[in-house]
Amino acid sequence: MSAASVRAEAKRLLALSLEGGVVSSELVGAVLAALTKSRSAHQLRPLLRAYLTNVRRELARGEARIEHAGPLSPADADAIAAHFAKALGRPVRPVARRNDALLAGFRVRVADDVTDLSASLRLANLAKSLS
Amino acid sequence: MTFLSALLAAAEHAPAATKAAAAPAAHDAPAAAAHGPVDTIIQLFGSFGVDGPHLLIQLINFTILAFVLYRFAIKPALGQMEERNRLIEKGLADAQAATQRLAEAQKASDAKLNAASDEAAKILADARNAAKAAVEAAKAEAAAAQTEVIAKAKAAIEADRVKMLAEVRGEVSRLVVETAAKVLEQNLDDATRGRLNEAAVKQLAR
Repeated sequence: MSAASVRAEAKRLLALSLEGGVVSSELVGAVLAALTKSRSAHQLRPLLRAYLTNVRRELARGEARIEHAGPLSPADADAIAAHFAKALGRPVRPVARRNDALLAGFRVRVADDVTDLSASLRLANLAKSLS
Repeated sequence: MTFLSALLAAAEHAPAATKAAAAPAAHDAPAAAAHGPVDTIIQLFGSFGVDGPHLLIQLINFTILAFVLYRFAIKPALGQMEERNRLIEKGLADAQAATQRLAEAQKASDAKLNAASDEAAKILADARNAAKAAVEAAKAEAAAAQTEVIAKAKAAIEADRVKMLAEVRGEVSRLVVETAAKVLEQNLDDATRGRLNEAAVKQLAR
């Protein structure tokens, strides 16, 4: 299989793995089971690699990875996720991780979009404007 | 010729005188009447002591002598004199021509000298003008180069100053920010950070 056909096949498999616009673990398992039965090993490896990349990207599109300094209540995390779900038009779930290097505030990453409301970024911008 | 004409004139006057003297000597008349004028002349010369044959011989001798003298002495002498005169005249002419040529040469040399002097003066003036122009050009070039060097130096100094100010400003900013970050990191407690996070959530919601 050529690289283009592998990418197209992985895209098709990803579409089969979505349930309501969200990656479903059951559907992913079914797709993998079907693949292992229908494809030989040397054809399966590049296809599985491309499928894994697509699944990770799709999962990242549905996650709001929140880095925060200090405590962040689950309600605030949900509020952040709801904000991005509303903005992007798809369901987004929060994944929070504490990072005190941000000093205060938080940084949210949804797929390739980054929103930074941290004190460290503001200090960096201040330093840049002063220099 | 004058001497001969005098003799002829005397011969013409002689019959009258002989007629006057022949009256007393009438017996000589037949003899005198028998001689011609040539004889009379001969006699007259004879009365003066001139002997005809001798005179003729002397005339012949004199003629020969005159011819010899003329042929071998006077004529060569005259020729030499003429040659000498010709050489002298030629020498004089040559000397005059040489004098004239000398004068012309002197005049030509004076003219050439004057022309060379004028040319030298002109060359000297041109050289002075060229040197003056070269000095002026060098001065202008040096002034331009000096101005350019000064401008470059000023620009370099200004660039260094701006660069140094930027570096100082950046360093000061970095130190200020680092200090502020350390102060915040040490002084912010979880309660304050929680409040700040809530404020950020509200800011995001807006």
